Amino acid sequence: MTLEKTQVRLGFIALSDCAPLAVAEARGLFAAEGLEVTLSREPSWANVRDRLAAGLLDGAHMLAPMAVAQSLGLGGEGTPMRVPLALNLNGSAITVSRAVAAALRAIDPDGMARRPRSASSLRRLIEQRRRHRAGPLTFAVVFPYSIHNYELRYWLAAGGVDPDRDVRLIIVPPARMVEKLSSGEIDGFCVGAPWNGLAAQRGLGEILLHAAEWWGAGPDKVFGVTRAWAEAHPETLRALVRALLRAAAWADDANNRPELAALLARPEYVGAPEAALRLSLLGGAELGADGADYLVFHRYAASFPWRSHAAWFLSQMIRWGQAPRDADFAAAAEVYDPSLLRAAAADLGLAAPLIDAKPEGAHAAPWRLAEATAPIAMAADSFVDGKVFDPADPLAYLDAFADT
Amino acid sequence: MRVLVIDPDPARAALVAEGLAGAEPAEVRHAAQFDEAEARRFEPDVVVIAADSPDRDTLESLREASQGNPRPVVMFVDRSAPGLAQAAVEAGVAAYVVDGLSPSRVRGVLEVAMSRFNLMQRLRSDLEKAKADLASRKTVERAKGILMKERGLDEEAAYGVLRKLAMDSGRPLAAVAADLIAFAGVLKGNGG
Repeated sequence: MTLEKTQVRLGFIALSDCAPLAVAEARGLFAAEGLEVTLSREPSWANVRDRLAAGLLDGAHMLAPMAVAQSLGLGGEGTPMRVPLALNLNGSAITVSRAVAAALRAIDPDGMARRPRSASSLRRLIEQRRRHRAGPLTFAVVFPYSIHNYELRYWLAAGGVDPDRDVRLIIVPPARMVEKLSSGEIDGFCVGAPWNGLAAQRGLGEILLHAAEWWGAGPDKVFGVTRAWAEAHPETLRALVRALLRAAAWADDANNRPELAALLARPEYVGAPEAALRLSLLGGAELGADGADYLVFHRYAASFPWRSHAAWFLSQMIRWGQAPRDADFAAAAEVYDPSLLRAAAADLGLAAPLIDAKPEGAHAAPWRLAEATAPIAMAADSFVDGKVFDPADPLAYLDAFADT
Repeated sequence: MRVLVIDPDPARAALVAEGLAGAEPAEVRHAAQFDEAEARRFEPDVVVIAADSPDRDTLESLREASQGNPRPVVMFVDRSAPGLAQAAVEAGVAAYVVDGLSPSRVRGVLEVAMSRFNLMQRLRSDLEKAKADLASRKTVERAKGILMKERGLDEEAAYGVLRKLAMDSGRPLAAVAADLIAFAGVLKGNGG
């Protein structure tokens, strides 16, 4: 098996979940596959998308919904994409300023004492502000096609807050979230690690809800390439997937996480304070709730590109007006290619799921995935409102939301 | 036509703005960061943004027309000019326009911006090269000095020795000079 290409350029954004790429580089896992990988720290998701399409990057750390949107030609020129591997589960959170947290506590002390928090407390605050003729609260997410956008919207809507009318939603790059919260330009945000933890540690904000509290084990970032690149470089891609899979397994081991925090803190990777990275990787009081599954890289089949995740993203794009109701669910699902992950897992002797899709949100307790090369322990994966997404009938799922 | 240039690199922003002001009857402003409120007051027809600005993602979100944003903004990709999008990505520049603006006018703006970005890149790499040239000239001077002192040669003869070493080994003069300085250090017990 010869590699079609050995010099490979991969893009990433400064976030804790770039860990599999950073670990594969720093621990020589790419080199062990005969790959000379150059990691390129990118300033924006739009730049990642355009540089992939132009062939200036071979592959990249991507927002999972962005790969689907790019393939379907939503929000720009379309480029067919392939996702052979997911980089993590969970990792994002919703944070509000200390002033908003205090106001929520004053208006709904019981609601704020419960986990997970419901946005109904926020609804009461919004109603109060309206009576006092105060302007709308401003929340930021990182990109229109991001789990962060859908997570914040889902949670707001489930608590009776209309994300398009009751609050102002804007886009802010991850590394600027904390600064904008500090300056008062925004009242809250939904972003990936380590930025929520940093806001909490600096005493600027409070984490209201983790991704794991909203969707027990939900998707987040993926590794993506263009379909043309995947077709021209099958062995190179398989070698990349093996290296990333081994890196994800290393990054998920609790014994390695202190070392991982120190690695990611380096300026060429995330360049954030090590304490904030440790919080996202090891947990801590500032998370406000149990942080055991705050950020997952390997366990619960985390690397597997579930086609039901891709379909769920399209359901939310339709829900929030980014895609038409007759959008092609089969095309969205096909962006995710589990065959490469299975091949790479077999090369390494790791278990892999044998099914491509599963119902999402169907398990209120930990469970075992039997349809796999060896049974895999899975986490509880229910949504905060208990709804279940059946990938075979996405429109029925959409109709269950009052707002669609 | 009003053009807003967003570039965290102030020298390059000024270069682009100056190029645009000369090429088009346009009102041009530049800023290091995209500020939505400021942009709304200026009402640009075109936003030219450096690819290394993180504010690109904010511009991506302005495509949906809404109450606060009555003029939807799209990334400018001109299908009638093949290769333009690729060239823009390579030059490190992107343009966002108010939907419906005439492509030919935007293309002119983007082309000026691209040529200025490329010019800046050339100026910077020329500067790097000049610095490297200066450093290598200093290295050669020092190596000559060592030869003159240790072997009692005059300047011309010392230069001849270095040149012969470079020709025999097929390596640049500065590299041979750097080796000679390193070896002289080792022999004096300074290094190694």
